[in-house]
Amino acid sequence: MQNIAERFTGASVKRSEDPRILTGTGRYVDDVRLPGMLHAAFVRSPFAHARITNIDVTEARKVPGVIAVLTGGDLDTLTVRGPGSAGMFAGNLPMPSFSILATDKVRLVGDPVALVVAESRYLAEDAGELVEVDYEELPAVITQEQALDPAGPPIFEDLGGNVLIHSPAATFGDVEGAFARADRVVRAELRQHRHQNVPMECRGVVCSFDPESGELTVYSATQGVHVARAGFATQLDMPLEKVRVLAGDIGGSFGLKIGAAREDIACGAASRLLGRPIRWIEDRSENLTTSGQARDESFEVEAAISDQGDILGLRVKMIIDTGSYPGLGGMLPEMVKSMICGPYKIGALSFESTAVITNKASYIAYRGPWASETWVRERMIDLIAKELAMEPLEVRLRNVVTRGEPPLETVTGRSLVGLTSRESLERIAELVDVEAFRRRQAEARTHGRYLGLGLATYIEAAPGPRTPEGGGGVLGPEQMRLRLEEDGTVTVFTSQMPHGQGHQTTLAQIAADEFGVPFDQVRVVVGDTDVVPMGFGTGGSRSATLAGGVTLHGARALRAKVLELAAHLFEASPQDMELSGGGVSVRGVPARALPLGEIAQAAHQPGRVPPEFEGDLEVISAYDGGEGGWAGGTHAAIVEVDVDTGQVRVERYLVAEDCGVLINPAIVEGQVRGGVAQGIGAVLLERSAYDPDSGQFLSSTFMDYLLPTACEIPRIEIDHLETVPLDADVNFRGVGEGGMIIAPPTVCNAIEDAISPMGARVLEQHLPPCRILELIGAIATER
Amino acid sequence: MALLQEHGEDARPLAGGQSLVPLLSLRLARPSHLVDLAGISELGTIVVEGDHLVIGAMVRERSAERHGDVRRLAPLLAQALPLIGHPAIRSRGTIGGSLSHADPAAELPAVALLLDADLVAQSSARGTRTITAADFFIGFFTTALEPDEILTEVRIHRPPPGTGSAIEEVARRHGDFAMVGAAAVVRLEDGKIADARVALTGVSGVPVRATEAETVLDGAEPTEEAFATAAEEAAKSLSPPADLHGSSAYRRHLAALLMRRTLKLAAQRAREAA
Amino acid sequence: MSTFDVELTVNGTSRQGSVEPRRTLADFLREDLGLTGTHLGCEHGVCGACTVLVNGEPARSCLMLAVQARGADILTVEGLATDGVMNPLQQAMWESHGFQCGFCTPGFLMQITALLAENPNPGEAEIREALSGNLCRCTGYESIVNGVLRAAGHDGSPIEPQH
Repeated sequence: MQNIAERFTGASVKRSEDPRILTGTGRYVDDVRLPGMLHAAFVRSPFAHARITNIDVTEARKVPGVIAVLTGGDLDTLTVRGPGSAGMFAGNLPMPSFSILATDKVRLVGDPVALVVAESRYLAEDAGELVEVDYEELPAVITQEQALDPAGPPIFEDLGGNVLIHSPAATFGDVEGAFARADRVVRAELRQHRHQNVPMECRGVVCSFDPESGELTVYSATQGVHVARAGFATQLDMPLEKVRVLAGDIGGSFGLKIGAAREDIACGAASRLLGRPIRWIEDRSENLTTSGQARDESFEVEAAISDQGDILGLRVKMIIDTGSYPGLGGMLPEMVKSMICGPYKIGALSFESTAVITNKASYIAYRGPWASETWVRERMIDLIAKELAMEPLEVRLRNVVTRGEPPLETVTGRSLVGLTSRESLERIAELVDVEAFRRRQAEARTHGRYLGLGLATYIEAAPGPRTPEGGGGVLGPEQMRLRLEEDGTVTVFTSQMPHGQGHQTTLAQIAADEFGVPFDQVRVVVGDTDVVPMGFGTGGSRSATLAGGVTLHGARALRAKVLELAAHLFEASPQDMELSGGGVSVRGVPARALPLGEIAQAAHQPGRVPPEFEGDLEVISAYDGGEGGWAGGTHAAIVEVDVDTGQVRVERYLVAEDCGVLINPAIVEGQVRGGVAQGIGAVLLERSAYDPDSGQFLSSTFMDYLLPTACEIPRIEIDHLETVPLDADVNFRGVGEGGMIIAPPTVCNAIEDAISPMGARVLEQHLPPCRILELIGAIATER
Repeated sequence: MALLQEHGEDARPLAGGQSLVPLLSLRLARPSHLVDLAGISELGTIVVEGDHLVIGAMVRERSAERHGDVRRLAPLLAQALPLIGHPAIRSRGTIGGSLSHADPAAELPAVALLLDADLVAQSSARGTRTITAADFFIGFFTTALEPDEILTEVRIHRPPPGTGSAIEEVARRHGDFAMVGAAAVVRLEDGKIADARVALTGVSGVPVRATEAETVLDGAEPTEEAFATAAEEAAKSLSPPADLHGSSAYRRHLAALLMRRTLKLAAQRAREAA
Repeated sequence: MSTFDVELTVNGTSRQGSVEPRRTLADFLREDLGLTGTHLGCEHGVCGACTVLVNGEPARSCLMLAVQARGADILTVEGLATDGVMNPLQQAMWESHGFQCGFCTPGFLMQITALLAENPNPGEAEIREALSGNLCRCTGYESIVNGVLRAAGHDGSPIEPQH
């Protein structure tokens, strides 16, 4: 089929996004300039929980250059109340009622209460300082205990209390039996701390309402333009056709920028009111304080085990702090429950969960939102290993599923077919040489140096094995439009919205191969609701399979259509058509050839196409993910803990991963390394901290919320495992989230291994230097 | 200076801006006027006057870092400068600016304190005066400078023969403000400690001299045990603040650790210098 | 608030404007001069995305007021390529898949330009230390370090900032 010597799929083709990124000519949302554009700034609550008793914008309105100051009440009349973008994730969760900006009460520090629109951002912030708001403080609900207390002040009065949902224990398999026949039970209370996405680009939007046409054009930074569009249309009570959402370059997101934020809707309403474009960009303090946070979960876990190290069953109780306004948090326990047994032969599970509401930023999606399932399980395995004085690697090898042998499903009913988890463990074992490390570790200890080795194994649904909903799961099939242009290039229109993943490169690689043109003859169009097909956008690690797959099949369909028309033009049979070198010829008769562009032109010329030929040289394809499949692997880390200062250095980090067939190895590796860096950051540096009494947010600048730098992240060695193909054509699997899911337990396991001589047990994920010294007993624990 | 006099507390001098401009952006500082010191060329020089190194207040940290006379005549300062933030900060940040800002976690105030530097201030109304480092840092981000005064130069006496110095800090990441830092200067005579001085940052609102340690070490043998004992003694009297990055106990622990290490290294360098 | 006239050279061209004293150099470049290549990641001097060269030295443009840049010679990311042709550093970064979302990129490129001008053949540890004041959230830094190593070794000659 492929006549071109060079095959792009599987090669580290240079990204087509890079020339603009490297020359500073990318267009991010804060770069948008429109005639007559105004600037927005928000006035925000200094309190975590308070009633608004009065708001006076008189002085603010007087500032020269201020065009409008809108209170929460003003905006409430211009918008429709609703669950916002979180409604996407709601399922059957109770949804509170709240306004776009706070009207009667504020529910977190930074809750927006007013919007200022002015000639410049400086002036808008000046005027914001003159807005007078009277607050009546209420007790802040910050800790789980406070949220669970039925006497505590309800954050949403219409929900009655701060327990959003309690799911009683669901059981899978024979839990009682597992615990009855266990030789022993290992128990632990594990705490995962709150931290957050922190893309380098803050949130922002430009909303431009045209009074004449009644159309709203939104320039946004969003992972899915159609989802954002639906949000604007619903909450501004506008028909979908009157809303157009565009997205250009996006400075990272990791799950933050999905749908339309409350501030986005407020800017849309203000633009409609004023008939002028309005640009908003949050500052970093707003981003850290209010944009959303993640990973705030605690677990009580019991593992029923045999003395030989078999994990017979788990009992898990989970509490998740979903923050204030609804986000993903309420739905998360279901995802954790479904994944917590991982690629292991764990035959029984009892899972109970409670989701609480607090006066903190909303719990949102952050790269592998369900990651606590891996952290809890991989920590427990190490604790089990310790209990039995076994190597953690051995416990994993004993319990991991073997391909081709039962069980073929997790106890929660997900297929385990095609997993290479065992192979990834074996590969890491080869690369690490555990025995040699143990000798080195023992030797180092005699010199007062503390090295540790940690491993962890995981699988993720990227997109996951085929279910009744298809290989793409609940987010449905992926659509794509492909067209041959009159200049002989192929245009691909996708709802994918790259924000660092390089889809404009990877999808072009596949299209080029499957259609039969050079890579630079393919153009991938993203980010315009007028033009790209409906779809969720980018997220959930589904792009490789769903978008890759629809590109493959769509390109083949386009190719077939082109050859069909060419055959007609040549009065030959489609089987005799050959596509190569930018043209179509009759096989064996090179003189009878037409450049692709001319074939495309012919499709537009009346009389040249056959009567039954439909439309243009364009196809619309949909793909439901085929057989889908898991991605996953094993990571290992060697760390050194400085027991004088508590600082941890990651000396070596290894990855044995399986993400199916690689489209672009350099891009895959970039995704893995970036995710691992976030995981290392979570353990050593990052925490979204709140004062438990006042609810004040303590990590509101980059001096307090610390991201890892080039000095903290080592080289990461990546081994790609040979994958098990499950589908005849499409075996690309996602890799975007994996690094961030598996790195925290890997590093935590390594740290505990390093400080185990002091009897330390790591039951939490955030291990800054001070905490390390507390754990080893070098200093007293102060609270 | 006339402008500073005219506007009083409403005006702030602008040196490198690396500390002041973030305060403006975060809207934590609201001066009505900024007085830009960059144009005053007399403030931008480093000269040697006899046994003194005289550094103009507007000398950029990066320039001082690269300057041969600084390495020669103020080795502790040369050791401290690369610890300040990152090159892009040091290309703009100034010696005088850092000293005047008096961040409790900053390196230069501790260095000035340890070296008994003289800080020369000037105002339009009262002319010039010299303030010793010991009198200069009086509180949390507070110096002895009056609102209408600017720092014009820092005078550092070259160390006597047989002196060694060291500075070490523990920060969350490379280039961050120290959680705790220690700087030490040790002079040896006939193999014994003739003078030991050690200062700490991050344990109080101002840099502190660990006088208990200094007293214990006066005349003592420069052994590891002596330094460890002195450091432990000095650390006992500290009540460091607790924050997101570390507890009070942690900072006290680091203070003892870093005092011990810097004293040991300074003594070693003193031996080498003899 | 009164305004001050500012005249300076940006990417080899004389530019001017009239600004409030509190306007940062970053905002002046982005808003007044339309050079949006310099990005704002934090506006309090930690992330380094706003790094430009001021008289050849790297500086965080969010920590400079535009008035402080009077008479200065500024180089921004837009000044690295010549007539649309990327310079060897940019080429090396492209070949190394240095960046992903691109938001931190301009700051890194300017900091690296300064690094290579001072130290044309840095080792890995030196590179990481020199870049420790620039934050990237996407890459884990290894690809950036590889790009710098590639740029430093491409033909042995140092990367000169264009003045």
